[in-house]
Amino acid sequence: MLAMIGLAYAGLAALCLGMDRHHRQVVGRGIKTRATLTLRLAGTTILALSFAAAIASDGWVFGPVAWCGGLTAAALALVFLLPYRPRLAMALGPVGLLIAALAA
Amino acid sequence: MKTGFRQSMAWAHGWAGLVTGWLLFAIFLTGTLSFYRHDITAWMRPEWRPAPAIDRATAADRAEARMQVIGTDANRWLIDLPDGRDRAAHLAVWRDAGHAPRFQREEFDPAADAPVVARRTYGGDFLYYFHFDLQMPSVWGRLLVGLAAVIMLALIVSGVIVHIRIFKDFFTFRPQKGGQRAWLDAHNALGVLALPYHLMITYTGLVTLMFLYLPWGVDLAYRGDRAAFHAEAALAQPAPRPAGRPAPLVPLGPLIIRAEARWGVPAGRIDVYRPNDAAAIVRIHAADSSGLAHRRHQIAFDGTTGAIVAIEDGRPAGILRAAMYGLHLGRFAGPGLRLLYFIGGIAGTAMIATGLVLWLVKRRPRRQRVVEGLNVGAMAGLVIAIAAFFWANRLLPAGLADRADIEAAVFFASWALAAVHGACRPHLRAWVEQLGLAAVLYAALPLVNAATSGRHLGYSLVQGDWPMAGFDLAALATGLILAALARQLGRR
Repeated sequence: MLAMIGLAYAGLAALCLGMDRHHRQVVGRGIKTRATLTLRLAGTTILALSFAAAIASDGWVFGPVAWCGGLTAAALALVFLLPYRPRLAMALGPVGLLIAALAA
Repeated sequence: MKTGFRQSMAWAHGWAGLVTGWLLFAIFLTGTLSFYRHDITAWMRPEWRPAPAIDRATAADRAEARMQVIGTDANRWLIDLPDGRDRAAHLAVWRDAGHAPRFQREEFDPAADAPVVARRTYGGDFLYYFHFDLQMPSVWGRLLVGLAAVIMLALIVSGVIVHIRIFKDFFTFRPQKGGQRAWLDAHNALGVLALPYHLMITYTGLVTLMFLYLPWGVDLAYRGDRAAFHAEAALAQPAPRPAGRPAPLVPLGPLIIRAEARWGVPAGRIDVYRPNDAAAIVRIHAADSSGLAHRRHQIAFDGTTGAIVAIEDGRPAGILRAAMYGLHLGRFAGPGLRLLYFIGGIAGTAMIATGLVLWLVKRRPRRQRVVEGLNVGAMAGLVIAIAAFFWANRLLPAGLADRADIEAAVFFASWALAAVHGACRPHLRAWVEQLGLAAVLYAALPLVNAATSGRHLGYSLVQGDWPMAGFDLAALATGLILAALARQLGRR
């Protein structure tokens, strides 16, 4: 479950950074088209991995339930941290990946 | 026409949200706390320390022996076995007319082979039943909650239509903009990010009481014979006619072992019809926590020979309903998933709260005194009332007659007082004062626990007593969050 939430946070953080408005918020300038595509692809892939982690740990019956909950919890943490500590909110993305790697 | 449609949706969302918001806030908050119902009960009777758990077959045998003491003249016994979260067995006894009392219940500790001895309290069950019953007579509370849930579904759909920028604004929260913008962002974020939870919990909540809300299909198909429907759907069985000849009841322990061997999941409930009669039937249900579908598996045994009479593993429609029921209750959830359920519930509660505040903020600088007062009373007042309920639990003498009912009365009295206070004081002051009071009440609960039970944080954390430590830590965290909110508002 920890791996699933770590990956969910990392994936969402990547998708968030791939949006012009939030890229400005974190980095201070707009985003290039190439970077948008890369971040979106990375984010989607990581979210898919997060789903796989949920299935691996909780199976096909409870896994999807847990994944919905984990995605929500991760998104809430990200969105309510972002305006106060934008850089920390992004830095926690790689931390989520690390946690997932350690928990797996 | 496009703007017309969204504008009319916004109008409906605002007004429907206003008139049901206060009730929905109470339903969501008490329901969310109900995910920790048994842990709350454990905190509310600290003198009971369950002995180390024993296997379910032995527990069933001991519960049966206890039933032979308290319920020999009964026509039905119901035994809910302990599980990892609720360590007590719940015994219930029904008697035919002419025998008193007609209904009786007892909490029993199979590990100690003795009834649970503790102060009388409704514990977490109070919040659990309030969540769908509102402590109203007959089914009025359930009907009101059902109506609120239907409107909640409409609010979710209309909210999505009004917001529309689901993905564009997915990560958007701009507290620095202040005022209406900030409240709307928060309301949208809490709604969108926990949307799967909101939809699931509202829809499945309606499913739990679907036969109360929509009985007409069943009435038409079964010509008004609801008992026949319930029997066919394996929801409830009519009691067999008594044979009138006494016959010893089979030992229940071996039946538990046989049922569990067949299912591969734990048993949870034993329903004994006509105990000690030659016509006795023992019906064993799988535990709530054993799968997504709530109480899907059942086996009925002959109560004198132990032979299998009927096996119910559910049919597709029944399993679908049971799965929705199970999803709503979340009893299958371990600590991690339970926390995620709790987070979803808090997000829902906060979404409703921000929506109610937003209704007022949007109409500034015009003041809406009635709504202002009700907002404070319904939201801060309930938060205070729940804290007062916990305080009463610890401060009322343990031997007091009717103390469980007095605890409940303290809950309602504090809520009423807070509502009066909220209506009388200037709006912002009312919020600051009530949130401040609530902060003190919650933050001090660990101290109240330490002063009245000896199972304080220093002890419970060392012992790994998680229900106790978890409650204290959650109360402390709630107090700190409420204090931060009160401080933030007080600066204005």
